[in-house]
Amino acid sequence: MIKAVMVMNTQGKPRLTKFYEFLDFWCVVLCSRAENVSNFMEADSIFGPDSRLVYKHYATLYFVFVFDSSENELAMLDLIQVFVETLDKCFRNVCELDIVFNYSKLHTILDEIIFGGQVLETSSAEVMKARISLKLYRISYQNSFWLEE
Amino acid sequence: MALSGMRGLSVFISDVRNCQNKEQERLRVDKELGNVRTRFKNEKGLSPYEKKKYVWKMLYIYMLGYDVDFGHMEAVSLISAPKYPEKQVGYIVTACLLNENHDFLRLAINTVRNDIIGRNETFQCLALTLVGNIGGREFAESLAADVQKLLISSSCRPLVRKKAALCLLRLYRKNPDVVNVDGWADRMAQLLDERDLGVLTSSMSLLVALVSNNHEAYWSCLPKCVKTLERLARNQDIPQEYTYYGIPSPWLQVKTMRALQYFPTVEDPNTRRSLFEVLQRILMGTDVVKNVNKNNASHAVLFEALALVMHLDAEKEMMSQCVALLGKFIAVREPNIRYLGLENMTRMLMVTDVQDIIKRHQAQIITSLKDPDISIRRRALDLLYGMCDVSNAKDIVEELLQYLSSADFAMREELSLKAAILAEKFAPDLSWYVDVILQLIDKAGDFVSDDIWFRVVQFVTNNEDLQSYAAAKAREYLNKPAIHETMVKVSAYILGEYGHLLARRPGYSPKELFTIIHEKHPTVSTSTIPILLSSYAKILMHTQPPEPELQNQIWTIFNKYESCIDVEIQQRAAEYFALSRKGASLMDILAEMPKFPERQSALIRKAEDAEVDTAEQSAIKLRAQQQMSTALVVTDQRPPNGMPAQPSIGPLSLVKVPSETVDSQNPGDQGLTHPNGVVYKEDPQPPSQDIIGDLLGTLSIEGPPGAVAQSPQSATYEAEGAPSAADAAALVPVGEESGSVQPIGNINERFYALCLKDSGVLYEDPNIQIGIKAEWRAHQGRLVLFLGNKNTASLGSVQALILPPTHLKMELSLVPETIPPRAQVQCPLEVMNLRPSRDVAVLDFSYKFGPTMVNVKLRLPAVLNKFLQPITVSPEEFFPQWRSLSGPPLKLQEVVRGVRPLPLPEMANLFNTYRLTVCPGLDPNPNNLVASTTFYSETTRAMLCLVSSQLFIESSTL
Repeated sequence: MIKAVMVMNTQGKPRLTKFYEFLDFWCVVLCSRAENVSNFMEADSIFGPDSRLVYKHYATLYFVFVFDSSENELAMLDLIQVFVETLDKCFRNVCELDIVFNYSKLHTILDEIIFGGQVLETSSAEVMKARISLKLYRISYQNSFWLEE
Repeated sequence: MALSGMRGLSVFISDVRNCQNKEQERLRVDKELGNVRTRFKNEKGLSPYEKKKYVWKMLYIYMLGYDVDFGHMEAVSLISAPKYPEKQVGYIVTACLLNENHDFLRLAINTVRNDIIGRNETFQCLALTLVGNIGGREFAESLAADVQKLLISSSCRPLVRKKAALCLLRLYRKNPDVVNVDGWADRMAQLLDERDLGVLTSSMSLLVALVSNNHEAYWSCLPKCVKTLERLARNQDIPQEYTYYGIPSPWLQVKTMRALQYFPTVEDPNTRRSLFEVLQRILMGTDVVKNVNKNNASHAVLFEALALVMHLDAEKEMMSQCVALLGKFIAVREPNIRYLGLENMTRMLMVTDVQDIIKRHQAQIITSLKDPDISIRRRALDLLYGMCDVSNAKDIVEELLQYLSSADFAMREELSLKAAILAEKFAPDLSWYVDVILQLIDKAGDFVSDDIWFRVVQFVTNNEDLQSYAAAKAREYLNKPAIHETMVKVSAYILGEYGHLLARRPGYSPKELFTIIHEKHPTVSTSTIPILLSSYAKILMHTQPPEPELQNQIWTIFNKYESCIDVEIQQRAAEYFALSRKGASLMDILAEMPKFPERQSALIRKAEDAEVDTAEQSAIKLRAQQQMSTALVVTDQRPPNGMPAQPSIGPLSLVKVPSETVDSQNPGDQGLTHPNGVVYKEDPQPPSQDIIGDLLGTLSIEGPPGAVAQSPQSATYEAEGAPSAADAAALVPVGEESGSVQPIGNINERFYALCLKDSGVLYEDPNIQIGIKAEWRAHQGRLVLFLGNKNTASLGSVQALILPPTHLKMELSLVPETIPPRAQVQCPLEVMNLRPSRDVAVLDFSYKFGPTMVNVKLRLPAVLNKFLQPITVSPEEFFPQWRSLSGPPLKLQEVVRGVRPLPLPEMANLFNTYRLTVCPGLDPNPNNLVASTTFYSETTRAMLCLVSSQLFIESSTL
């Protein structure tokens, strides 16, 4: 199962954190890792036994998933890609600022992809559809705060 | 901007972003928290919009890593808002800020349930997401049925159903009873026919959770999984949006193969054949391509397929194909694939017959030890450690030693421990082993634990051929200008013991040895000084004829330390000083150390205890099964019956006691009192506070050798004894020979524990573990004895006899005569209760390990209370029944006086564990407990039993 999802920038500022299991401590040194090394890190010492960590670096952001041995490492890496591609579709060329000011949207999208630590949806098209169907629903309310891009 | 609807929030985020440093940020956040707190205090004036805004702010602050310990109520209350925007905020923020044990969540259960059973799809999704993320046991109990309905409903859209599947998975994890296995297995199989890939993916995750607990109930799902895999990997029958870089939903493929790994095997030949066809296709059809994402996805599937092939224990041909693939992977440019290639190769070591193929890749694996990525280096180290055996130990250990100087700090400890273990297990010859450990101490002294150098000393002591070699080596290292303290310890010890063997060589005269050791003296800490003192004493003893100059030098040192604040040092100095004035008898007392008894390496044991990671564990297990190098067996000092050869000598005493007559030789010196009050006494059987035993205490793995033979076996046991005879020992060794195998743990305690529960360990000793699992139904019971051989050799002449008391009918199925190494055999035992009795059945169990015959008699927990079944009775039933029982023998009363009463809840618990149902509120007096149960036996059938316990507090004691 997936234990946590984190997004942070190269200065270590968190941009999104979501825990599916209680983890009492996190502080990860990712920035010191060179490019062109693997995307895996030993996480047992940080998150307790049977934890693996996969991260992916996009421009100024690190996307980090923490999970246990019941998940496939590369599939997790793919899932990060799906998450980012979905964000990209949603924000049209997503950048850190989009994420900072729209973290509520980030949560909604993440909830459509990972659910209680399990993979819910892997097709970014489907995630967008779900979002659109929610959006249509919201238009019937005047007080919508999703003033769309 | 999406949140521009909430200007305040955007402003706050901008402010935080503009903060120059952490301190400014904290001030800004504190200000905001204060503001939110004041606003929440006056909730009436708060519009839903404002509430929503503040709750978002709280989430943002929480995400920045600050404690947000208020406002939870406001977040939860937003869940019941009628409109979507507020509701959504409520759900999202609650799911982030609260955990499943939070009290406020309980308040929301009803609202959440209404949203789930309501008709509004969006609300359903929100509610399911909350439950799926933080739902606890209470949610499981009140919502599981509704969630199941949503999952199998045909009118719901996939959007809702896929969430329901994962929500059910969460609830099942919280309380497995919410999924009724009998009814759900068929439903689960139907769900796997689902066309919608989203629902199918979620259902597959649900299946993985279910089969991991109970694969037998879900056999019918196995062929469906294979079908799904065929549909994806072979037919590519999948909507466009679910192909990811050209790969048909890699996640679903991976999950399906995960699910298949929970079934022990695929029996149906047709299913097995189609499965292997698909796997073959995956193994062969994957290539490394340019696109990183495509690469990742296809290899995710491939690695899972490899794991499945290993699990299914495929034919050797397919296995070697897998190893060949892995061999290719560990050399590719893509680091992720290198990493996983190494990891999977480590797992592959568990498969028999492929080790040799893996060894062909040794050079490449050693190269990976120098990979720029520490994650990959660690995997390479694990793999090297796992694949090492007698044939390649020399190469691998030397590589590790070489790597040690350049390795990261974070890895050095693990590296040196692993190198030490491998050197010990697989050394081709002993001098090589000594070289390795000394190099290890030299290069990474800080990371070499005491266990490692203790072990070297043990080997040197026990192997005469090695002693002069080790002494020469130690002398060489002492020549170096700066050496690690551990090196000082080990060199001083070895030179003290064996330096004299080289006395004829130039540079090895006692005087020179003393000088070179003493040079290091100013640099060492208190823990080393006792070793130096012992070493000096030994050098002095070996100097024949005595050299007055050396003697004076050493005596000066002893004198100096006689007033040392450290007791250990002081005692040694005083004792050695006194001893060294005794002339000839010194020779006897300070003679060479006796050999150590053979024992398991503390190092290897520590490694076995410490490692938990799955990949490593497998490597360790493998280690344990492998044949050790024969070069390093500590010389066996004991005759085969396990008795020590020199029972009067403590295993670690540095001072060898030649006979038990030291005292009589020097009757006047029995107690040697020193000015500062240290009493020296020579004890023929050194207790644990032996002169040097303390220092080398960790070397001692077994107890003093005399103890085993002497341990009292006075306890007796009567086979016919009632269980109330609480102190009767359950075990009696038959004959002297079993005295050498001691049970682990208290047999009585194990028996009593099993009287109250239905599974556990009945008996354990170093060779065997006997476990029990029992099921009871009315007057019948079925016990299964699990006989597990803990050794790497078979146990022979296994015999199990049941000695049943007259009231029990017992049938034990056939017990095999031998138990293979590390195997566990199960022997079912049928029990039938004929009539009530308090007698206990006994298992007479014996086996042979090597020449030793072990026999134990164990009480079996087929006791009275196992034939009870709890039953609840109403007051209307209880009291008439109670009164209708006239007196003995049907009704017994006993008054226990003068005991401290057990607290009532504990008493109730005790009753319940004995399967007596406590009926609360039945007796109006709160100090009385009333309980009921049914007793079953063949003659009596079901028999209602009633218990009433009354507590009288006597006002005076007499």
